[in-house]
Amino acid sequence: MAPKILIMGKLVWAQKECEDLLSPVAEIVHMQSDSREQLFQQFAPGGEYSDVVGIYHEHLSAKLVGHPDAAMMEALPESCKWFAHKGAGYDSVNVEAAKKRGIIVSNTPGAVNEATATTAVYLLISCMRHFSMAEAHLRAGGFTPPGVEQSSFDLSGKTIGILGLGSIGITFVNYIRPFGMRMIYHNRKPNAQAPEDLTYVSDMYEMLGQVDVLFVSCPLNEKTRGLVGKKEIRSMKKGSMLVNTARGPIIDEEAMIEALQDGHLSSVGLDVFVKEPQVDQRLIDMPHVTLLPHVGTENQDARRKMEVLALTNLRDFVTKGMGPTPVPECI
Amino acid sequence: MSKPQVLICANPTKGVVWSKEEQKSKLGAVAEVFEFDSKTREAFFEDCKGKYSKIVAIYRHNDSVASIGLFDKELINALPKSLKYICHNGAGYDQIDVDACTARDIQVSHTPMAVDHGTATVGAYLTISALRQFHRAEVNVRNGKWKGGLIPARDPQGKVLGIIGMGGIGSTMARMLIPFDMTVIYYNRREITPACDFPCEYVSSQEELLRRSDVVSLNLPLNDKTKGSFGREQFSQMKDGSVLVNTARGAVVDEEAFLEALDSGKLFSAGIDVFPDEPNVNPRLVNNDKITLLPHMGTETQDSQKKMEIRVFDNMISAVTGKGLINQVQEQKK
Repeated sequence: MAPKILIMGKLVWAQKECEDLLSPVAEIVHMQSDSREQLFQQFAPGGEYSDVVGIYHEHLSAKLVGHPDAAMMEALPESCKWFAHKGAGYDSVNVEAAKKRGIIVSNTPGAVNEATATTAVYLLISCMRHFSMAEAHLRAGGFTPPGVEQSSFDLSGKTIGILGLGSIGITFVNYIRPFGMRMIYHNRKPNAQAPEDLTYVSDMYEMLGQVDVLFVSCPLNEKTRGLVGKKEIRSMKKGSMLVNTARGPIIDEEAMIEALQDGHLSSVGLDVFVKEPQVDQRLIDMPHVTLLPHVGTENQDARRKMEVLALTNLRDFVTKGMGPTPVPECI
Repeated sequence: MSKPQVLICANPTKGVVWSKEEQKSKLGAVAEVFEFDSKTREAFFEDCKGKYSKIVAIYRHNDSVASIGLFDKELINALPKSLKYICHNGAGYDQIDVDACTARDIQVSHTPMAVDHGTATVGAYLTISALRQFHRAEVNVRNGKWKGGLIPARDPQGKVLGIIGMGGIGSTMARMLIPFDMTVIYYNRREITPACDFPCEYVSSQEELLRRSDVVSLNLPLNDKTKGSFGREQFSQMKDGSVLVNTARGAVVDEEAFLEALDSGKLFSAGIDVFPDEPNVNPRLVNNDKITLLPHMGTETQDSQKKMEIRVFDNMISAVTGKGLINQVQEQKK
């Protein structure tokens, strides 16, 4: 009997790839649960999902059944050994609880690099040049916003610091190289893959003091929650800027808003917030910041790549016992 | 011997903004500097016969239009006989009638290169924004709609960027977008030699460029030959679902044809920094949220502005000290 795979959520771009990758080796069932209680019953012995060996998980399923927290991991059937999360960020998945049940969690790094880095470049340019404000001003019937020259800068010659240089950060560095910025980064340890024209700074506060723009690019976990707080923001130069395409809670949002209000930060470019889809009204009311609704990977190519990578993890698990991208905690 | 007299025709209230120090110390070292205060065009014509009747060179900024209007044939002919140089602040100099200047033996300079980085940055931004549909996304956040109603967007990765008018701005923009895995092709009247120092392909017909490009970027000057030159025929030659980016001049494009191409879906999106009748913008563009619009922001930074002001001074200093203009306009160099 073919191993059973449960699809939790929707496959938007890769229905065909799902057919091609999984149908030859597995029986695919699509989640038909209206509530968390019902899903847990379906996982329980005798339920229709009680024999799934792997799960494809997509976050919109949370609307119906909630996030894959400890309770859900405990409710999964004994047979389930692979949890393929679609997305690079997997802070919504309780990996520790999964490990306790012998379940490997995979994510989809790499698939998001280009789209996220492109979004970051957009936010960077928009902040330094105040383009969000300029477009809003034009569409409201104005033209050149008063004072924009005074507050806008060319990227060339300015310093950008990357907090958390991983594959997204490296892609981002390659994108911004022609703009002539001085590029530095801080990780707990230097990244061996870092390009030569990117300077490592071992002390985070030293980096913060040097940057005109801070680009937040680390994963969200217990060590990085609130990493950029009041002290860190005030270590930055007056008039500097923040760009965040990682996760909202890495930055202390209250401290960031305060710094915007008193001008210590002259602008921020955000694709992520602490409590999406809600956005603090104080940010919405600021014309000089750029805000996007977590669209870092909201395009056809990145979405398809993520879906395919998650499916590939399941296919390889079923055929070889191991997928290509288990999360670091599960290796 | 007294220093030659020069006139600053910049912003009527602010004058030169970022380089007042250099105006005094560098330009002032070789010339007697007057700041124009004519309140109207007629007053300016009078002043040209009076207090400005001995000026040799003019620093010109588009902001002077507010007081004295364009540097058209009428104004050029009203300038004093002593006037030999008009040094324009800006890469585009369509507000100056160069033929009228040439007829009067007045040489004109502009500020290429000083505008390249700032303008190319706008072009790269507009390309990304149009493809990724970021304007709508931003509006959604501020309206509390989050991702509601957003259509699937596209990436620059793997797309063909066609540059019409590969010059300083076009090259800089190409270099900025190549790392995004865009392929660059360009059309100029003649292939550039020596070849560009970045990967790009010359195509010898504009039609071929239009048929192959996913993103078309206009990077050519506005003059009699190019005015309205991008119209129905050109849009029909573009790929279905392509993107137009314009950081050149609004009047290069036939606006009615452009609006039709947007409405019909021929164009997936557009990124526009320039308009035919600034600061007025066609309401049909303003009401279109699938496109990205900027109010001529190409060089709206203190960094670019200062570079441009200094470049004008450098041209003036070179000219009045007998070394000729550094950046004389193309039409006069033949």
